[in-house]
Amino acid sequence: MSDPTALQPGPVTTDAQATTESQATAPVGKPSSLWSDAWHELRRKPLFIISSVLLLVILVMAAFPQLFTSVNPEWADLKKSLQPPSSEHIFGIDIQGRDVFARTIYGARTSILVGVLATLASTLIGGLFGIVAGYLGRWADTLISRFAEIFLGLPYVLGAIIVLSTLAPVSSDPSRLRIMVIVILVMALLGWPILMRISRSAILAVKHSDYVMAARGLGASPMRIVFRHLLPNALAPIIVVATITVGSYIGVEATLSFLGVGLRSPVISWGLAISEHANYLRTAPHALLFPAAFLSATVLTFVMLGDAVRDALDPKLR
Amino acid sequence: MRVSRGARYLAGAAVLMTAVAACGGGGGASGGGGKAAADAINVLGCEPENPLIPADANEVCGGKVLDSLFTGLVEYDPDRNGEPVNAVASAIESKDSKVWTIKLNQGWKFHDGTEVKAKNFVDAWNWSAHSKNGMQNGSWFADIEGFSDVFTEDPDGDGPQKAPEPKSSTMKGLKVIDDYTFEVTLSHPVSVFPVKLGYTTFSPLPDSFFKDPEAFKKKPIGNGPFKFVDRKNQQYIHEEKFAEYKGARAAKVNKLNWKIYQNEDSAYADLVSGKLDFMESIPPSALSGDKWKTDLGERAISGQQMVFQSVTFPMYNKKIWGNAEWRKAISMAIDRDTITDKIFNKGRLPIKGWVAPGVTGAKDGACGEFCTYNPEKAKQLLAEAKQKGFTPPAELKLFYNADRGGHKEWTEAVANSVTQTFGGEVKMVATPYPTFDEFRAAINDHKMEGIYRTGWQADYPHIENFLNPLYKTGASSNDGLYSNKKLDAKLKDADKEVDPAKSQALYQEAEAMLAEDMNAIPLWYYGLQAGHSPNVKNVKVTPFGELDVTSVELNKS
Repeated sequence: MSDPTALQPGPVTTDAQATTESQATAPVGKPSSLWSDAWHELRRKPLFIISSVLLLVILVMAAFPQLFTSVNPEWADLKKSLQPPSSEHIFGIDIQGRDVFARTIYGARTSILVGVLATLASTLIGGLFGIVAGYLGRWADTLISRFAEIFLGLPYVLGAIIVLSTLAPVSSDPSRLRIMVIVILVMALLGWPILMRISRSAILAVKHSDYVMAARGLGASPMRIVFRHLLPNALAPIIVVATITVGSYIGVEATLSFLGVGLRSPVISWGLAISEHANYLRTAPHALLFPAAFLSATVLTFVMLGDAVRDALDPKLR
Repeated sequence: MRVSRGARYLAGAAVLMTAVAACGGGGGASGGGGKAAADAINVLGCEPENPLIPADANEVCGGKVLDSLFTGLVEYDPDRNGEPVNAVASAIESKDSKVWTIKLNQGWKFHDGTEVKAKNFVDAWNWSAHSKNGMQNGSWFADIEGFSDVFTEDPDGDGPQKAPEPKSSTMKGLKVIDDYTFEVTLSHPVSVFPVKLGYTTFSPLPDSFFKDPEAFKKKPIGNGPFKFVDRKNQQYIHEEKFAEYKGARAAKVNKLNWKIYQNEDSAYADLVSGKLDFMESIPPSALSGDKWKTDLGERAISGQQMVFQSVTFPMYNKKIWGNAEWRKAISMAIDRDTITDKIFNKGRLPIKGWVAPGVTGAKDGACGEFCTYNPEKAKQLLAEAKQKGFTPPAELKLFYNADRGGHKEWTEAVANSVTQTFGGEVKMVATPYPTFDEFRAAINDHKMEGIYRTGWQADYPHIENFLNPLYKTGASSNDGLYSNKKLDAKLKDADKEVDPAKSQALYQEAEAMLAEDMNAIPLWYYGLQAGHSPNVKNVKVTPFGELDVTSVELNKS
């Protein structure tokens, strides 16, 4: 960003000045951009490389499970129930006689989908409220912040259990799509305040920068200020938190499914697989440990990635 | 009649035991939890559906508690495979199976000290049968002359019309002769009548009950080996030994605590650690790999029970009911052998009829090939069903209750078996209700949008008990509203037959008729996998699969 300090804050507005201002914010200064800087930094981080390779594998698994296994995850051969891992079924067989490897691979899609969509939803909601609160300040800030605190005060899992058991009682039989949408919305509903706080504080941090003052002084509309000046500069912390949140949401999905209020059979999910086999831990640990391992690895991947991105984006931590 | 919960739960909170023992012991040292409760045994219980009135328990949770609180005219001797022997009655006689003279032993007392007299039976039966009192088992008195005067039915089921007011409050078939004798006249001969009399519904009720039924609901007063102390919903029911018990089988322990668990795996964990003294239903997770035998060693008990498991089609829901070919197709698509083998680890045994083996009159094979897994024949039957104009639902739901009984695994296995047999043409999905209560409520309201699991635990060991209450038109536990005139007539003939052997043969014929409609698909009957803690000895299990609470003793250590 070129230095706009030469401009006097004040009500004077001329065409020439407006032009200068827009040129000033255009991404001309390539060598010093925060993003390219971060990218440069990231490429050299082993943590980032490992986690992005893992993430790639998980994403491919979620998108094209057929690449990894040709076994139908729904096919049950009860006669083989709880067989330990063998060369034919490398992860063994679950209680209903289904291939644990196939179910673990297919389970990735549900977890990723729920984690990413729930994060997206809560980032959108939280981000929007955060920007409004941070930019408008005063009563809008107070109102939104207190409102968010109500949600923050709710214990996450408890809140989710209550909402889920009301919206989708165990006796009801929602379709796969419906139950997934409900779970995602519930997670977003309870998770947005964190992202709201992050984006609010990020906006507050840049709100009083000189270049924002300048833009305002030059008569730029609030929309323009927010989208051209505030958001690009506040995005870094939001992205970092969102990345880590994906991981934790995947864990939450598994928790809710384990408790029987989240996704439910016949959806294939890691949380469900863990729940179904929790009682067989002593006789057939494989049916539980493999999905659990994939779950942990995925959560870890997102958390590591978030960490790496944060380090790269925040020069103070280098 | 008891709808089996399939598995029942026990609870073990050592803290509670300590508290109770401390109260009873007049401030004795309460140090070292286990010791303070040394005169109590903790048995797995489950939350009764209704208040503890004998005629209001048609499920095992209330039934097992009431069995310990009441002793009827006869009792089922656990040492002789549940054969009925006289208890309160000294003689039950009839010349024609129609008019029965019942003489009572003198000196039996209720827990409140009043004596058990003939009128306690007559009043109790009249009250229980009266439809305004709404007892679940009111229809059990249907054989008695004058029953229709006290019991009226809602003409349109759950509809807006109300049942007409009963004409009388007493049945004319019941007559008190003197304090210790009464006469029962039945509307038609019933040869198994004395066998039925040991069922809790026929228990006597004390005079205080009729003065204040509400107080009784809070603190039931019976005449059994144990008396009620207190209860806490979803947690426990406490009882203590009734010192003035007159029967042959008096209690040997001072206190009996039914403990209620929300989850049978935690009950099992307590059983292994000795916090729970008896559990009659080892959960599937522990049966897996015979883990329970390793865990419990000599404390493991196996046997078989008169408990029958089935899947029922609601006759009131035509989309699900379909036709006989359809129901037979489903039955033949269930691989009972593999499911009992893998899911229950052979703890349940495939059944080819509607009556659990071991009961009087049971005959294997009434269901024949229709209860045998045969994918080819199943597909053929499905094709025939469709030819006859039935469109199977795209998704057939199999409902079960998620909270207890370990039904998830097997219902899913059944669903997989059916779905795969038909190659996805009929997709069966196991669908849970969160609790047993909600599940039974939906069944009793006749709102099932699919087929559902049903279980039956015998009230008395006779083939009749597996047929009349379940499949006769309008019977108390015929919750699928099945109705078959021919079957009703056959059952009636069997009821009337005075000769026991002939009567049993007629019941067997009636059982065979069930295979034509296949309204309930027989799956398996329960083996018994029970276990006890090291604290108790002389543990016997009744033919009903319950602990014999009177013979169990505590180990003195």
